[in-house]
Amino acid sequence: MKTLKPIILSLALIMLSCGDSEKTEQHSDTAEIPVSREMIAELTSPPNVPTPVGRRKAKKLIVNMEILEEEGELTDGVKYVYWTFGGSVPGSFIRTRVGDEVEFTLSNHPDNKLPHNIDLHAVSGPGGGAESSFVAPGHEKTFSFKTLNPGLYVYHCATAPVGMHIANGMYGLILVEPEGGLPQVDKEYYIMQGDFYTKGKNGERGLQPFDMQKAVDENADYVVFNGSVGALTGDNAITAKVGETVRLYVGNGGPNLVSSFHVIGEIFDKVHVEGGDLINENVQTTLIPAGGAAIVEFKVDVPGTFILVDHSIFRAFNKGALGMLKVEGEEQKKIYSGEIREGIYLPEGPGIQNMPTTNEIVESEIPAKSFEEQMEFGKQIYMQTCFACHQAEGQGIPNAFPPLANSDYLNADVDRAIGVVVNGLSGEITVNGEKYNSVMTKQMISSDDVANVLTYVYNSWGNSKKVVTKKMVDDVKKK
Amino acid sequence: MKTKVFSLLLLCLMVQSLMIGQTKDMVLIEGSRYIPLYGRDSTVVEVNDFKMDIYPVTTAEYIEFVEKYPKWSKSKVISLFADESYLVNWKTDLKVKDSMSTKRPITYVSWFAAKAYCECQNKRLPTVDEWEYVAMADETTKDARVKPEYNQQILAWYEAPRTEENSIGKTKKNAWGVYDLHGLVWEWTLDFNSVLITGESRKDVDKDSNLFCGSAAVNATDLMNYAAFMRYAIRGSLKARYSMKNLGFRCVQDIKEQQ
Amino acid sequence: MKNLKIILSTFVLILSITACNSDKTKNTAADLAVFQCPMQCEGDKTYDKEGSCPVCKMDLKLLEASSKDMDTDEISEASIFNLTSKWHNEEDEEIQLTDLKGKTMVMVMIYTSCKAACPRLVADMRNIEAQIPDENIKNLEFVLISIDPETDNPERLKAFALENGMDDEQWTFLQGTESGVREFANVLSVKYKEISPIDFSHSNIISVFNSGGELIHQQEGLGVDNKETIEAILQLTQ
Repeated sequence: MKTLKPIILSLALIMLSCGDSEKTEQHSDTAEIPVSREMIAELTSPPNVPTPVGRRKAKKLIVNMEILEEEGELTDGVKYVYWTFGGSVPGSFIRTRVGDEVEFTLSNHPDNKLPHNIDLHAVSGPGGGAESSFVAPGHEKTFSFKTLNPGLYVYHCATAPVGMHIANGMYGLILVEPEGGLPQVDKEYYIMQGDFYTKGKNGERGLQPFDMQKAVDENADYVVFNGSVGALTGDNAITAKVGETVRLYVGNGGPNLVSSFHVIGEIFDKVHVEGGDLINENVQTTLIPAGGAAIVEFKVDVPGTFILVDHSIFRAFNKGALGMLKVEGEEQKKIYSGEIREGIYLPEGPGIQNMPTTNEIVESEIPAKSFEEQMEFGKQIYMQTCFACHQAEGQGIPNAFPPLANSDYLNADVDRAIGVVVNGLSGEITVNGEKYNSVMTKQMISSDDVANVLTYVYNSWGNSKKVVTKKMVDDVKKK
Repeated sequence: MKTKVFSLLLLCLMVQSLMIGQTKDMVLIEGSRYIPLYGRDSTVVEVNDFKMDIYPVTTAEYIEFVEKYPKWSKSKVISLFADESYLVNWKTDLKVKDSMSTKRPITYVSWFAAKAYCECQNKRLPTVDEWEYVAMADETTKDARVKPEYNQQILAWYEAPRTEENSIGKTKKNAWGVYDLHGLVWEWTLDFNSVLITGESRKDVDKDSNLFCGSAAVNATDLMNYAAFMRYAIRGSLKARYSMKNLGFRCVQDIKEQQ
Repeated sequence: MKNLKIILSTFVLILSITACNSDKTKNTAADLAVFQCPMQCEGDKTYDKEGSCPVCKMDLKLLEASSKDMDTDEISEASIFNLTSKWHNEEDEEIQLTDLKGKTMVMVMIYTSCKAACPRLVADMRNIEAQIPDENIKNLEFVLISIDPETDNPERLKAFALENGMDDEQWTFLQGTESGVREFANVLSVKYKEISPIDFSHSNIISVFNSGGELIHQQEGLGVDNKETIEAILQLTQ
């Protein structure tokens, strides 16, 4: 890592030197943003974040992420085998800007026992990269993606059983800053909540294995910030000075629980709701879904220790979802006085409220008629046998397979259509004005099936609503 | 003349199978029908009787193999059959590092190498179905999958570091008399590439008609059997050239019908 | 005694024909591809494998594609011609993969009774073939390998070829043994599984090999853009 520093520094210098001449162009289509030069991404472990992108241009960004399976301490005396991106829970923070072309290499350490992959919610592509990054121990996989949408996104492992990989700590955040970067603030930190499920009860000592049943029941033993109880308290607390503006990148890895993120004694001046563009102001508690994130900003006006919690409050005080922000500086009595008086108060007895209950009646289903049954069976056959070429909506594939939707060729002659299914068809035909020259082999399906599948086709996608019977099929077969 | 040569051949084959296809260290596994984690359309699969090595192949045994068939030595193996990590922890073509016990299971071997090893013993690699069938057993029962402690034991291994350095035969013998299926190293199977998972496990529960042809949705019969899930995940992530620190193998043998 | 000798010698003979013993001498033929930095940062320095330039980090570019005519019998380590499995083609001739040496090969694994994606894969192969100019076709072999060797005998493959209009010179259909097919699939990184006696599930991958049997390009998926595959083929068959 040390060796990277000079490289990053020199890259930063290069960026600065040419940064002055940049015009902030606004690209309406972020996919078209050109990239220039390569740079190696700075990755940080929580609670730190890499340097802001500022006004740099979009670049080819090299991200090298290593997966480590290693033992760590969940809380005093409780050991747990974490699976990690980059050796920390949550994994290394990745900072990009919109239009960057990220070349992502995922390396699975040879000592690891399991295959892993990564699904980045910032990726527009199948599985968020999960398919392209599925990697066995002792190997590495590289794929690249372009960041199209600004925002704060979760990444996580998506190898079966997914829940277990996430429950063991395989999640983190990737930030995509807008063109020109986010507004400057004084302090930025990286916090991510996760729930953990252990064989033993909360606090039971020794190496605790993961408990699948508890995870399925969503019965967490630990709910923590940054991977362990106390990762953000005492000496590990995050800090700021009175008058500074603090920005927290808050994520929730789950696997199960939703976080009601709240800082006791502070109001969020700004919340990027769910990590997106929408900014809500003056918020007390913001909801962060599992697999989601939020950016919260607030100015700290008075000194003291501010407690960060998941306001599902038993999690904070019994399961570990508690962190601290220590603020130093001058007292501000006008904003907060401290205690002024003490007195005696005799209350009246409270009333007990009953909760109303409801009982819903489930309506029984209507039995299918025979035509509908034909449609149902026909659809099954279609999806097994015809779908690959003619596609789900009968749209076909241009220049290769003719459409069955609104098809003049199909509707013109039902016997001919039956013949095509029964005997196959090759040579040039014209459908809806387009020429096709391909091969359809004869389909080895029963007369009943032919009748059902054609009935389904004729009664879907704007066709002529013919009903094909088994007899019609048999007649064509006899010819 | 022809018949004479033929009978000689036959005789030799018998001799060969006596000399090489030694079945000391193998046990008979009585076949049966069972539902594996990913069955054919989640149906029952049938396993015939076969014999299985009691232990995984050891480093010492593999050294012998390489001495006999130099084409499988570290420097001679071709890149089609093994990647760069093949036998990466050996000192030379025929020697392992002095610190390494030769009672360790052999690891850092590719599927091609494992397959060749078994064929040279007149054996073969076990199929996924066969391997999983024997691996369902704990010390007392042949299908222990419903016991919570069976899964816990397997899971404990995922969390134990450097198990590949242990000697063979240190785990408990299972009901078939086989050691080390769990708790030592992963093992190659003959048709490991029949596990059709892309690694995109959320999609793998549905058939991906673009990547895989056919109607095989990867459906797990027992979603709680996550220890098995991970075995399937590792198989899905492998390529036949790969050689890995935690991956070894053992052989099986078909039961020849009595002439 | 004499008998024993014969037995022993025959024994040795048998040993030498078992699969594990087709000992080929290791081949040190250098890779034919040569790569160089497009900016020539290091002057004329070349590399024998893909990578990026240590100076400017740009991807190295291929200088010369592998030569079309492989001389001698040298085959490289990564060549599929190292496989000794036996196959039957649709004309019922027994062949080994080395018999295909000298031509660029486009390969796909399918089975003839397949109703789902194989017709699309076959159509993809036809589409690729249709877009290759005639003068390149003579250096090409389109190979369809059955993953259902039990059902797909040469006779059936021949019928399938005729039915699909794929019976010209450049098309070859292969039936192997169960273990030969499994091994070959592993070389292509194709996964497949028998679902029922007549149905298989398998990866949809079209692979391009150069005339020396080295894997050059793979396209995975159905109905994907054939452009890259066709470019790879054209480059190899110029």
